[in-house]
Amino acid sequence: MTGARAPGRVLVLYCPDWPGAEPGSVGAAETAGAAGVVGAAGAAGAAGAAGTPAVLGPAVRAFEPVVAVVEEFCPKVEVLRPGACAISVRGPARYFGGESELVRKIAAAVRAAGFVGQVGVADGLFAAELAATLGPDGRSGPDARIVPPGRTVAFLAAQPVSALGRPELSYLLPRLGITTLGEFAALPAAEAANRFGASGELAHRLARGLDPRPLVPRPPAADLSVRCEFDPPAEQSEPVVFAAKSLAEDLHARLAASGLACVRIEVQVHCEDGREISRFWRHDGLLSGLAVAERVRWQLDGWRTQVAPGGAGAPGDEGPAAGVGPAGVEGPAGVEGPAGVEGPAGGVGPAGGGGSVGGITLLRLVPDQLVRDTGRQLRLWGDAVVSDRVARAAIRVQAMLGHGAVTRPVPAGGRRPSDQMLLVPFGDTGVPPRPADRPWPGQIPAPAPATVYPAPRPAWVTDSAGTAVSVTARAQLSGPPAWLSAPGQPTRAITSWAGPWPVSENWWDPDRARRQARFQLVTDDGSAWLAVLQDGCWLIEAAYD
Amino acid sequence: MGARGGPVEVSPAMTASVLPPTPVMPHGQRHYEGLIDPQGPVVPGEEVLPVLPALRGLLPAGGLQRGHVVATAHGGLLFLALAAAASASGAWCAAVGLPSLGVRAAADAGLDPDRLLLVAEPGGSWPQVVASLLDGCDVVLLCPPARPAAQLRRKLEAAARRFGSVLLVAGEWEGAQARLLIADQEWTGIGAGHGRLRARRARIVAEGRGAGARARSAWLWLPGPDGTVRAAPDHVMAAMSRDAGLGRDAGLGRDAGLGRDAVLARDVLAGTG
Repeated sequence: MTGARAPGRVLVLYCPDWPGAEPGSVGAAETAGAAGVVGAAGAAGAAGAAGTPAVLGPAVRAFEPVVAVVEEFCPKVEVLRPGACAISVRGPARYFGGESELVRKIAAAVRAAGFVGQVGVADGLFAAELAATLGPDGRSGPDARIVPPGRTVAFLAAQPVSALGRPELSYLLPRLGITTLGEFAALPAAEAANRFGASGELAHRLARGLDPRPLVPRPPAADLSVRCEFDPPAEQSEPVVFAAKSLAEDLHARLAASGLACVRIEVQVHCEDGREISRFWRHDGLLSGLAVAERVRWQLDGWRTQVAPGGAGAPGDEGPAAGVGPAGVEGPAGVEGPAGVEGPAGGVGPAGGGGSVGGITLLRLVPDQLVRDTGRQLRLWGDAVVSDRVARAAIRVQAMLGHGAVTRPVPAGGRRPSDQMLLVPFGDTGVPPRPADRPWPGQIPAPAPATVYPAPRPAWVTDSAGTAVSVTARAQLSGPPAWLSAPGQPTRAITSWAGPWPVSENWWDPDRARRQARFQLVTDDGSAWLAVLQDGCWLIEAAYD
Repeated sequence: MGARGGPVEVSPAMTASVLPPTPVMPHGQRHYEGLIDPQGPVVPGEEVLPVLPALRGLLPAGGLQRGHVVATAHGGLLFLALAAAASASGAWCAAVGLPSLGVRAAADAGLDPDRLLLVAEPGGSWPQVVASLLDGCDVVLLCPPARPAAQLRRKLEAAARRFGSVLLVAGEWEGAQARLLIADQEWTGIGAGHGRLRARRARIVAEGRGAGARARSAWLWLPGPDGTVRAAPDHVMAAMSRDAGLGRDAGLGRDAGLGRDAVLARDVLAGTG
């Protein structure tokens, strides 16, 4: 049986606490509860992800310099998620003089580039990722843990079942007296499948040190890749991203016609000057055409960020990217010199003007690791499905104004009206930092204001004598508010008001600490306002209009 | 309230008993039931998109006619509520130039945030953005950054007709088939230093062109205490005014001052809710 053969040697580079991939983002969402074993289910693939291949664009772009470092050693790098990537060991190990030598070199190169990373090597992606997240074992050199060939099953057997990253199994198995993967693997496979379903069968394969899904033994004869040439070469990313969507749909149609799905998808971009950027993205048969197009965008954006000197003014600069930019440009060059597969750094010279990266002549999507498509179940009461027509319009507007200009609101939790919504760029998936389904005591009760200013507006509230109204530490008012004025608006008399309602938030964090007194004010024209007094200044946060 | 005999002082306790009861809902669950007619999902070929029952009498076609432009004097809840029923029954909405749109209030009124696209800062190319979105979405809410020239206005109207979408505009739009504004409004539940904002009753006046030329008006809870937008029938207003007067003059306790009409009104509201 083909499925029983041991998987090949895999090396995983894992950056602990990668900025951007915070709890609540991809890895943590897939592996809730598996403390310390972040993202082991990333390897477990399809069943765990439940149809939501959520990856945060900015975090992926920030991870690009690390991927570039690993790419020095092996061009086929697979990005598992921001903060973790994998390569196959076999070829590079032969070239660089053995496994431990390769591991040592990669760890040193990552350190030299200014990142903190842990390397794990084992048979199969799951075990390698687990080894990387566990950290150094003291024998394999600094920052590394190498599980010798053939010892992977024994290595896995000692791990707790929580390493599978499946909350339901982590809870259930210990109650059945099964605490380690070895004990779980000892169960007959058929029984595991009977009792725990498809996801349990998959976990059982992982616990036995096998690949989660058997690969299709013989690659199909037909070339299933799709390509699109750009003549004249495309200077901007947008037309390429636009073409990527229809290409991806074409590819999915071809795969579906053969009854196949791909585990990974390779995005190859050829440039005018002969350079080629290629990158693997985890697919697992779950990505829509739009999601593949998004990954093409990230790949181009990340590359562009790297090319633009210092990352200055690059789109989507979140905290990490700004600090990472220079290291990403200089790091690889310092390690390897200008030779090798190092396309991006070589492009700094010609691309210096205005962040242009030269024209793109060809986009190619190649399905990798074909597996039989076992189908997937959409949720019965699914999310709002974005129809093609809407997606097309949104992408067209994004092409005009930029990726972040079209957003979808996601309800979030919080006590201020402006905290209760997170804007996620169309095509991305965002998880609000504060869940909305908590009680949030102290929030303003319904009805909610129809106008919520993204930045509160300054205002003045005075009493009938004309002095500014203030509030003491014991929430005593200096006098009843009588007049409200704001820049650009006539001064209005306050007819009724309520408050002060004191709020003290995040007092443990000096940067985010906030003490406010909140008021609802109704002015003589009938309009109502939500005003706050903070540090002696009056601000209007929202209007009930 | 000026049209109905001067401002009436309403105490929070009395208001609470006259207002429609707030349904007790688990946090986060939406409460569209009873607000949205079970007309089924929006069919692409359907000519008129539904509006909330409370707004139906204000619009010439009893809904949002595809290809039409409907304007409100300002942004705010009335503007958002116009799109609520269409969104709740499956239409996609896009909001252009509304960086301060209160999504929570819109959701409470019935607008589904899952089917909402926001283009907060369209910049100088807003007409192209609007035209693109009219192609993709059923309803486009627009707050024009600048007063549009007549030629540009006609182009966007033509785009709405061609794609069969509805353009809702916050602000002036001369070619609008219907125009709504708030003529009177009063907040209840809040006093001088006590209570809180609970509900607003507002008189909406609608005027239009052609078939909709006749001016119509209606009293609405905009919003009601649970954030929904419902009709506030006239006799409730009358009852509330009379009770407020009675309670004050007779010096009776607030609950004792609540007359038979107000109780009836409350029951009527509870029945419709």
